Amino acid sequence: MISTIAVFILAAGLPYYLLLERLSFLKSKHIFLISATLFLLADMSTNYIQNEYSTPFVIVALISAVFSVYKATQTTNFYKLAYYLFFVNSPFFLLFENEAAMYSISLLVSLTGIFLTGRFYEKHYGSANYHQITGITLVRPYIGTYLIFYLIAIALYPPFPNSLYFLSYIFNSDPSPLWFVVIITLFFGNFFLAMRVMKKTLFGRPNANIHYVHMTTGEKATHLFVVLLLLLLSVNGFKEVLL
Amino acid sequence: MEKIILLIPSIPILIALSLFFVNKKEFVPKLSIFLSSMIAVLGLYGTYHVIRYDEAITGFGGLVIYNELSAILVPYVAILGLVIRKYATKYMWDEAGYKRFFVLLNFIFSAIYLLVMSNNLIVLALAWQLMSISLYLLVSFNVGSNSAVKNAKWTMIIHKAADLVFILGVVLTYKTFGSFDLAVLSEKWLAMSASPVDNPMIFVIGLFFLIAAMMKSAIAPFHIWLPYTSEAPTPVSALMHAGVVNVGGILLNKLAYLLLLTPAVLNIAFVVGLFTAIFASLVMLVVSDIKRSLGYSTVGQMGYMIMEVGLGAFSLAVYHLMVHGIFKASLFLESGGLIKLARHDSNLPKRLTYELFWEEKIKGNTKKAFNFLAFFTILPVLVFVGVKLVLSDDFLEFNASIVILAFAWLTGTQLFLSFFKVSKADSLKVILALVTSFIIVLFTYEFVGLALERFIYGHDAHLFYKAATFNVTTVTLLATLGAIMLIGWLFIYRRHLAKEGSESSGLKWAFYKFLVKEGYYFSLLNIFKRDK
Repeated sequence: MISTIAVFILAAGLPYYLLLERLSFLKSKHIFLISATLFLLADMSTNYIQNEYSTPFVIVALISAVFSVYKATQTTNFYKLAYYLFFVNSPFFLLFENEAAMYSISLLVSLTGIFLTGRFYEKHYGSANYHQITGITLVRPYIGTYLIFYLIAIALYPPFPNSLYFLSYIFNSDPSPLWFVVIITLFFGNFFLAMRVMKKTLFGRPNANIHYVHMTTGEKATHLFVVLLLLLLSVNGFKEVLL
Repeated sequence: MEKIILLIPSIPILIALSLFFVNKKEFVPKLSIFLSSMIAVLGLYGTYHVIRYDEAITGFGGLVIYNELSAILVPYVAILGLVIRKYATKYMWDEAGYKRFFVLLNFIFSAIYLLVMSNNLIVLALAWQLMSISLYLLVSFNVGSNSAVKNAKWTMIIHKAADLVFILGVVLTYKTFGSFDLAVLSEKWLAMSASPVDNPMIFVIGLFFLIAAMMKSAIAPFHIWLPYTSEAPTPVSALMHAGVVNVGGILLNKLAYLLLLTPAVLNIAFVVGLFTAIFASLVMLVVSDIKRSLGYSTVGQMGYMIMEVGLGAFSLAVYHLMVHGIFKASLFLESGGLIKLARHDSNLPKRLTYELFWEEKIKGNTKKAFNFLAFFTILPVLVFVGVKLVLSDDFLEFNASIVILAFAWLTGTQLFLSFFKVSKADSLKVILALVTSFIIVLFTYEFVGLALERFIYGHDAHLFYKAATFNVTTVTLLATLGAIMLIGWLFIYRRHLAKEGSESSGLKWAFYKFLVKEGYYFSLLNIFKRDK
């Protein structure tokens, strides 16, 4: 039971970011790193600890997820968005327990991409905030392309692994009323959040008051690595879902 | 050797990936066109193989198949793709994101090929979703335009909902029938159809797939995304109206044997299709925006396609979607040329109807000419119907319902068109023009439709008609036909014989307002916004 509670908290079942956001010495990028580490720990722990499936925990995580979707719609900060998305996807992890490990890794990789995009914005535009930094697709296609890959992955579209593992688990599980609620919430929650970012920074007319900066070779290589990692996971995802 | 055909869906992806490494702008369309012409050649070879050896080509562990349906649709999509790419070469030249456009175009074509050639529900689900995201990125291609992005958002929301409903349908299918393989499932469904089936879950599954198809094919009440996406580049509009909206019909054809088990779903398809066809055709005539008018025209055609599925005429739906696709794509693609001409001549573009009915182009004895026309058009129809009645007992039961409904719908729509656009013209010419169009439709539908039916479904085709138990009786059909004619005569009377300047009734204005406001669809949606 204790291990179940531990996994529940580690896997972002409770919105502990509410507490962390109050600590003045922690910035949003630190909260992301903490959440990502805990999420990874939860993911790894499922390989070693046998947890009991708990419906109440899934319900609590679901409420937390809905609240996190709301919080994510209130922010235009990449770091915050990235850690809110852990909490949005937590019910899936708790619902499918051990089977959701690969989905969690895919989520972690795609959110790392979002985090890196936040760092790029912070470095060149002063903060990880994408408000008013519009029309990236037109003026800086490289970062636009990478960001679109991450957002498509988060919005649960193929050929990215998030969608493949998501489909794989739901095809191989038994539907129940809670199952339907979790699946529908995640399906649309992730989608709306990804679409919102697309609309606000990828699309729109380029802002004439901003000097748009190209990616450096190092930044390009880092993002390429993340995308290749996603595609590698996709290959495994295709195997899992089709075979 | 023939297995190479199964690589067709991967070729556009290879094109898209190779485009990333092309630096010279002029090589982008060249590479794209060259490799996509390979797809057309492969598709035609595949069709030859299927016809010649009368066997489907399967591969990748049975995940993809090149069967009779693919043999018809893949070459169609490939040739359409080739034309669109060629057109886009110059049309998109000055647009920002030229390469991005070709990359996205190739992704959506890959999704369409995969969808057509899939033999597995999971592959179908992946293609289904890949198409949604590619469409979204293409519709919002003009990222600087707020309205384009806003309309793309609506498109995406409806398509995402279609994705969810489709996935739930797949989950329930697997739970109920224990397989994702469409060939296995089709055999199972066909065997089950031999005896009455009483499983409500099959109805739910069928309904889920029908709703998913309705959403993607812009059937009412999910139609609203299509008329408002005309801000997309013209090649995208052509692709959307000729290819993407048809996927609902393709899906229902792939699941035809499932629908054998659920006549109620076929009945629902017929009713929603009929409503959409009538509603969209009427709205098409009254909206002031020409692009929206074209959008509603496509919605009406999709309604008609779903209606055909509802009648059990699955192969006719395939034929319809192809013919409509070619017609609508050519309309969109020639629009650029017409606009260019209109810049030089303010009287352009002229409608053909205008020239035919308003300007006296035809010299000589027109009455005699039209008598000949009537002789050579009406007589063959009478002979045709007579022969069909003598030779086939099923004519009135099956084909007649489709043919007469085609007549009723087409004539009804064109009747309205005539009254609003060519009302002062020579009525004989109008009537003969309508009859001629009907005859063309009747002949092609009957002959090509039957040929397709035999090719795709063989002897199983009659099972679909039997399953569509909502067969309209001859009496009902004649009554409907009579009602349409009466309405037509009423219009003629009011237009030509009633006293000039008489006040229009409130009901008529209410109906007109209802159509102009597109069924108050947006007013309903705005209620929530106002509250906010």
